Amino acid sequence: MSVRRWIAVAAVASALFALDAFLPRVLNPYYATIVIRIGIAVIAAVSLQLVNGFTGQFSIGHAGFMAVGAYVSAAFSVYVGAGWLEGLLGVLPPAAARAVYFPFALVAGGLAAAVAGLVVGIPALRLRGDYLAIATLGFAEVIRIAILNVDAVGGARGFPLAAHDHPAVDLRFEGFGPVYAVVLVTIVVIARLVYSSGGLSFRAVREDEIAATSIGVPATRVKVEAFVVASFFAGVAGALFSHSEGYVHTNSFSFLRSFELVAFVVLGGLGSITGAVLAAAVLTSAPELLRGLGEWRMILYSLLLIVTMLVRPQGLLGTRELDLSWLRRRLG
Amino acid sequence: MALLEIRNLTVRFGGLTSISELDFDVEAGGVVALIGPNGAGKTTAFNVITGVYAPTEGSVRFEGREIGGAKPFAISQLGIGRTFQNIRLFRGLTAVENVRTALAASHRSGIADVLRPPAWRRRERALAKEARALLEKLGLQRVADAGAGGLPYGEQRLLEIARALATHPRLLLLDEPAAGMNPSEKQGLRELVARLRDEFGLAIVLIEHDVRFVMDLCERVTVLDHGEKIAEGAPEAVRQDARVIEAYLGTSGGAS
Repeated sequence: MSVRRWIAVAAVASALFALDAFLPRVLNPYYATIVIRIGIAVIAAVSLQLVNGFTGQFSIGHAGFMAVGAYVSAAFSVYVGAGWLEGLLGVLPPAAARAVYFPFALVAGGLAAAVAGLVVGIPALRLRGDYLAIATLGFAEVIRIAILNVDAVGGARGFPLAAHDHPAVDLRFEGFGPVYAVVLVTIVVIARLVYSSGGLSFRAVREDEIAATSIGVPATRVKVEAFVVASFFAGVAGALFSHSEGYVHTNSFSFLRSFELVAFVVLGGLGSITGAVLAAAVLTSAPELLRGLGEWRMILYSLLLIVTMLVRPQGLLGTRELDLSWLRRRLG
Repeated sequence: MALLEIRNLTVRFGGLTSISELDFDVEAGGVVALIGPNGAGKTTAFNVITGVYAPTEGSVRFEGREIGGAKPFAISQLGIGRTFQNIRLFRGLTAVENVRTALAASHRSGIADVLRPPAWRRRERALAKEARALLEKLGLQRVADAGAGGLPYGEQRLLEIARALATHPRLLLLDEPAAGMNPSEKQGLRELVARLRDEFGLAIVLIEHDVRFVMDLCERVTVLDHGEKIAEGAPEAVRQDARVIEAYLGTSGGAS
């Protein structure tokens, strides 16, 4: 069993490496950017699904945690990581050195966002429903405005990922490999957390908090756990964003971005990981694919949202998952 | 020492006194009924015992330990299970998932859930088996994989009891378990309560309006009215008690 698991991991890893090498040659840079943005949107949407869809706590400030991850990882790379990377480049081939360094930047962003999630979550998750939504929105804006006023990360000018002390070191990571490796890790971790006996606590809190506590579920802790895990992955998504763009500005993490993530989660179906993946992919590519329509583009995009909600109020997949057992049922 | 000892319990919400200076004991393995007209404070008593409300005054001791004001999840983990008057199931989950949630509630393990080592798999299988065994004990095996929200009323009540049992309680509080049941379901419930006491060694407190229902089931009946205990004793004696008749039916003059 465990040998088979290692083979599977190795197969997935080599597939990612192959894609990483192959895709940039066939896709023009514009499409390549879209594919990367889809991956980042999927990570953020799936992590938000844990809070909004599975635990039933309506957070609309997820972009704030992406901002923390994006900026902390960027600052880490510029002020600390560039030196590490230069050292690594001296002893390893460039691709390997970059592959060794990048996870550190991502984890730095994720951990910073997780800490922010803990600090915001403990007071905010005492609130319910609309009040929680407003509080998370407020906290996200506080985070964004706070970053906007920090000069070390560029303030209102934005923050280019270039280290003055190590001008030769390239801190941009544009590959598909890292993004989609994180996409896979996010989906697997959150699916396994949720679809296990212990993970039933998340859904129990969503279904009925009073009943959940009456059978021994520490509801507040469960909510904070969900919030912290989700913030971690949002932070990693932010880190991938800043490092793939090579530049980061707080405008990318306004409440509009938060709302967009909520739209992915609701449209995909609250309580469906694959639904969030699907919605994030479709809704991230739709505005780009509709570009040919000029000024009608956003009108069509909005109509797409409205029609979907009218036709399927429970979201594309409801609480179901598109997985192997679903495929088996469909195919006979 | 009694399993549950309530002494001098008073619960006030602002100016409203819901329970006033209540003394109430439950012995291990005993079945006690709590009856009284609407608004007598029965459900409030349950909510204080399970930590939903904190006592304004007085003490609640379970197995000698003070639990007044403790958090509901902590009280559940100490060994008090309950059901609700207006059924509170996890309606979006299946029947067996409802029970599994309760079985796994107290020991969650995030990292193991993600890495899924062999020990995790064994535990997961054991939990699934235990959940199904419990459903079978209550005659719910047929609906194990059905959505809890879609079950008929009587089965929802039973599932709520199954879920409470999954926390391995020593004291079980049933809030109007027979409400909305037909006579044959009520008979079944009566047999079930007796079985729970004998097989699981549970102490049971049940809130009930139907005095006949508790007659041959409970060794003791406590009657509340306007938050005060007005009678306590064997069911037959309580039924003849003048104050109880007055509380339920009013005085013979009808006035006041």
